[in-house]
Amino acid sequence: MTTPSVTPSFPQRPTEGATATPATVAAAPGISRLTRQRRRAAWLFLAPMLAVLALVAGWPLARTIYFSFTDATLYDLEYHEFIGLLNFYYLAIDPQWWRAVWNTVFFAVISVSVETVLGMIIALTLNAHMPGRGLLRAAMLIPWAIPTVVSAQMWGWMYHDLYGVINEIFLFVGLIDTPRAWIADPSLSIYAVIAVDVWKTTPFMTLLILAALQLLPGEVYEAARVDGINPVKVFFKVTLPLIKPALMVAIIFRTLDALRIFDLMYVLTGNSRATASMSVYARQQLVDFQDVGYGSAAATFLFLIIAAFTVIYITVGKVNFDQGGK
Amino acid sequence: MADVTLRDVRKSFGGVEIIHGVDLDIRDNEFTVFVGPSGCGKSTLLRLIAGLEDITSGEMTIDGVRVNDLPPKERGISMVFQSYALYPHMTVYDNMAFGLKLANSGKDAINRKVREAAGTLQIESLLDRKPRDLSGGQRQRVAIGRAIVREPKVFLFDEPLSNLDAALRVQMRIELAKLKDDLNATMVYVTHDQVEAMTLADKIVVLRAGHVEQAGSPLELYHHPRNLFVAGFIGSPRMNLIETKVVSTDRDGATIQIPGGDTMTVPAQAAGLAHGAPVTLGIRPEHLVEADQGDTILDCTVFVVERLGGETYCHVRIADGQTLVLRTDGETTVRPGEPIRVGIPAAACHLFDRDGMALHRLQRHPLADQPLPRHAIA
Repeated sequence: MTTPSVTPSFPQRPTEGATATPATVAAAPGISRLTRQRRRAAWLFLAPMLAVLALVAGWPLARTIYFSFTDATLYDLEYHEFIGLLNFYYLAIDPQWWRAVWNTVFFAVISVSVETVLGMIIALTLNAHMPGRGLLRAAMLIPWAIPTVVSAQMWGWMYHDLYGVINEIFLFVGLIDTPRAWIADPSLSIYAVIAVDVWKTTPFMTLLILAALQLLPGEVYEAARVDGINPVKVFFKVTLPLIKPALMVAIIFRTLDALRIFDLMYVLTGNSRATASMSVYARQQLVDFQDVGYGSAAATFLFLIIAAFTVIYITVGKVNFDQGGK
Repeated sequence: MADVTLRDVRKSFGGVEIIHGVDLDIRDNEFTVFVGPSGCGKSTLLRLIAGLEDITSGEMTIDGVRVNDLPPKERGISMVFQSYALYPHMTVYDNMAFGLKLANSGKDAINRKVREAAGTLQIESLLDRKPRDLSGGQRQRVAIGRAIVREPKVFLFDEPLSNLDAALRVQMRIELAKLKDDLNATMVYVTHDQVEAMTLADKIVVLRAGHVEQAGSPLELYHHPRNLFVAGFIGSPRMNLIETKVVSTDRDGATIQIPGGDTMTVPAQAAGLAHGAPVTLGIRPEHLVEADQGDTILDCTVFVVERLGGETYCHVRIADGQTLVLRTDGETTVRPGEPIRVGIPAAACHLFDRDGMALHRLQRHPLADQPLPRHAIA
């Protein structure tokens, strides 16, 4: 069968096209004046963005990576010596760091999974034509709109072991018999943090999934109804494969967010080992212990983990797109 | 295979009635076409039969079973949608097999059915492709194939050809007609294209604003339209309509005034019409003749000439300023601005009373009441 090669319909495609134009400028000598003009214009439009990116992302990133190979301290950044991979060696043998890595990965996997499932359920519900849908959609976004620091503080009070409303409610319905120290108890605190993240970012997931659902062709569902296919099967065999591209993008957004989580843990539990994420660890080294070199090494490591994850995810994701949910 | 009957079927959306009491008998093995202008309720009526919408009141049976409260899958129907409604992520084979797999048919049986249907529709070579790799015509075939494999009692088509280009539409139309004979099934087909209706239908149902205006064979509708709406809707270019008055009536029909002074006797049951009663004379462009023949000759002036090659449409103005379209052959040399004599054969004329209802013609057209085969059966 001569199946034409199919490019996956990734949402970023227009941008890829735009950046591809300048990338090939130098190559062709015999190109027309008009084409050259267009390419020059493309560069002109891209230039401000490239400059800003270099300034706010490229420069700090390069500097952080540079510091990770030195013994710089916050006391005086200019006095430092190049010490090679020593910082990374110390990082690799620090159980606290690995605890932070574990915390972060555990947090990311659990919270993103729960958010995806919950977001899907809520999106499917909102996608049904029911009265008050617009209002619900707006109300749903409130947790997402509140700054994390504020919501973390709010939840901190709700989790309070003596006066918190969570203990009050759980005691009342009989889920627990004595008050718990939700954020002080090391065995509970990570779950407390995850719960807040789920509360806060499920709306984001819901919104992205809802947008994907609303683009689905209605007649396909009528065809399924005429064929007598039961709704659960329709969901798994039709809806899920069709919204998969959008879902993948939503999941990657959320996972990247979750891997570099900082504010939620920092506000709720401070530097507690039980919940400290990689970002919290890096900040503690860099600011509290003034060790810029070592902290930069942790930050660089975090950057590498996220980069590796992204590459793997997109590669695996593309393979799946081509198979189209077979 | 099955009869479909509708008895006083009504449908309201949020208090607004869209279908106003439709009575219809679709006989077993009949190709019925719902036709009408946009918003006439033809698609809604089809969706009511499919079970995609609930009937507000009335009674519907398929194969003798009351289906008012049955979900689509229990009605023994299958439907082909306007936009094909193929599952975009599945291959052609899976699209056709999907409904069967879930109905727990055996694997071999599914395979046999799908390949059989693919053979009928000549899409065997496409079975491994995805819908996005197919042309519009191929997608349409797959959609029909998906309907066929379910072996339904009734096929429902919702404007299946309207997304295809003109040439492909003609080709698919012919294939649908052939398919109909191959499948021996009851088919209900919705279109706004009266050519599709005329060429495919055993029975045409003309709908307007949720009412059935007339149901009958294509030639019955063409030769004996029940009212002005049907007369105008069936036939292209539209039937010419001339406002005029009755002069006298007798056993041979109604004698009417023709603009320009003449009178003409049209063979229609005109008893009860008073002298001077306003009537509308209807005459199709293809029945007018450019010559000194006909029961009445009109002196007209040509103002537009549309040449289609094989035939020519002359738009002419008659004495009192009303306009007519005359279809004549492609060889005519008339020019805009020239006078022309147009003959009206009385036997081809229709008369409508002031309410727009047709007066019965005294003679039934010989082709109006018999089923006519469309092509040789191999």
